[in-house]
Amino acid sequence: MRGGSRLLAGVLVAAWAAVYLVTQVLVAPPLGVLPTLASGLVVSTVVVLGYPSALRGPRGGSLGGPAGRSWRPARRPQDPRGVRDGLTIAAAGRSMPLRNGLTPDAARRTAQLIRPLLGGDAIAITDTEQVLAFVGPGSDHHHVGGTLQTRVSRLALGKKRTVVVHARDGIGCPEPGCPLRTAVVAPLAVADRVVGTLKVYRVHDEPAPRVLVDDMASMLSLHLELAEMDRERHLASDAKLDALRAQINPHFLFNILNTIASKSRTDPEESRELLLRLSDFFRYAVRQDGHFAEFSQEYFFVRTYVSLEQARFGDRLRVRYDLDPQVLTSRVPVLVIQPIVENAVKHGIADSVTGGTVHLRARVDPLTRTTSIRVSDDGAGMAPEVLDRLLAGQRPGDTDPRHSGVGLWNISQRLDSLFGDRYSFDVASTPGKGTTVDLRIPLR
Amino acid sequence: MDDDVGARHTPAEVDATFRTLRRVAVGYFVVFLLAVAAFPVLSLTSDWWSEARLVGGMSPGFLVAAFGLYLFFAVLGVAVARLMSAVEHRMLDDTRDDGFSAADEPPGDLP
Repeated sequence: MRGGSRLLAGVLVAAWAAVYLVTQVLVAPPLGVLPTLASGLVVSTVVVLGYPSALRGPRGGSLGGPAGRSWRPARRPQDPRGVRDGLTIAAAGRSMPLRNGLTPDAARRTAQLIRPLLGGDAIAITDTEQVLAFVGPGSDHHHVGGTLQTRVSRLALGKKRTVVVHARDGIGCPEPGCPLRTAVVAPLAVADRVVGTLKVYRVHDEPAPRVLVDDMASMLSLHLELAEMDRERHLASDAKLDALRAQINPHFLFNILNTIASKSRTDPEESRELLLRLSDFFRYAVRQDGHFAEFSQEYFFVRTYVSLEQARFGDRLRVRYDLDPQVLTSRVPVLVIQPIVENAVKHGIADSVTGGTVHLRARVDPLTRTTSIRVSDDGAGMAPEVLDRLLAGQRPGDTDPRHSGVGLWNISQRLDSLFGDRYSFDVASTPGKGTTVDLRIPLR
Repeated sequence: MDDDVGARHTPAEVDATFRTLRRVAVGYFVVFLLAVAAFPVLSLTSDWWSEARLVGGMSPGFLVAAFGLYLFFAVLGVAVARLMSAVEHRMLDDTRDDGFSAADEPPGDLP
């Protein structure tokens, strides 16, 4: 449950408690059951409908910062002892800190977590260069951050397989007073690449079960692989956003500059205003470094774009915004609405002699906690085959660059990575009558 | 020359803001109307409303008439004023986090 939902649930519980107090406890005689329930329902409805309002005000750290990463899987809370009563291997697997990558902190918490499971007296996790974590006897000289001291580690890294050492000499620790006597060292691998080792030491002559250590190393390797995939997925998502930023049409800039040049003699004031708006437009596109922004910021970007296009098209381009007050503070993916509006202007209005109207409508449904955004135009529309290709997820730029739709394709891919299957993105078009793009995303 | 170019808005932007503010006003007026109308309705339909004793021997109806309605009006007024102001700010101003408008930028500075 996200923070907003938790707050809403808390407010609802408090409202019901207040209704109960006023109608049942503080009053004599108490109100009947049905009127009490009706009062509670009225109060709940008011709270649910009134919650997503602009009264919430601006939220902290919206762009780029924590909000930009907020869609990533949340970390599970960790027990400071590292071990929980009745911990099973399956439970340990689900809460493995290495899921976030092979870092010293994650390695330390992992070592604490798996130490009782493997039956070792000391657990160490290393990368290929240094000790990332060491828990147990011997930590006085097996320093975290130090280089790999033991011969057995280098052996396991070199041979890429598990090494079992039955005697103290085999460990190869240079410290004469080291209490560690046996060791099982298993490599940690991502794909075919060894990235570190898991070492289980004991202070007596019986080494830890090799199969158990092997299995745990395999599980940790799987988590490291997943962490690597997560990182690649985030990089891909960032790259898609960068591609969208870089996709600002050079023709758009060329046309706007021509418009400004033509107005500079006849109307210098308007030229100056257009230049400032153009500056705002590029500043917004370049400075957005997170994946989400408040709707009002995206709206600012859209109206900046539209005002620039209106300077070029004049009365041929009409626009109508229809916004719910509640939608202004909701968070939407950045650079999603403007490309849709740009498509409507480029492919819907620009080709029409009489021009047309672009309609941007945004609503919040507090009951389903959904933000719906609709961009429609009454322009030229799209041919069915172009629409089919678009809906099939095909990049249509190969056949008709003019109706490239790469923006829509990019948006669809980004929405996929941000929301999975919790969004809908529908495009409907009739040639000669216009196009409607409907987007429904979870309310944030 | 008027340097405050950031304060200029297109008719479509102003029209959108007006319609959103009108929606807020109508919504809050409906809430106001329902709350005020609920008082006589409850007085006519519920004995509990006028005969039960809540605090200091006062009935719920009396308490609402004496204090509750005024509190409600005050809260509603503040809420609608804040919401209207927030809506106007978000729909007409630049609400980016850097709060930086191109009109404020000194010449020659890179963005």
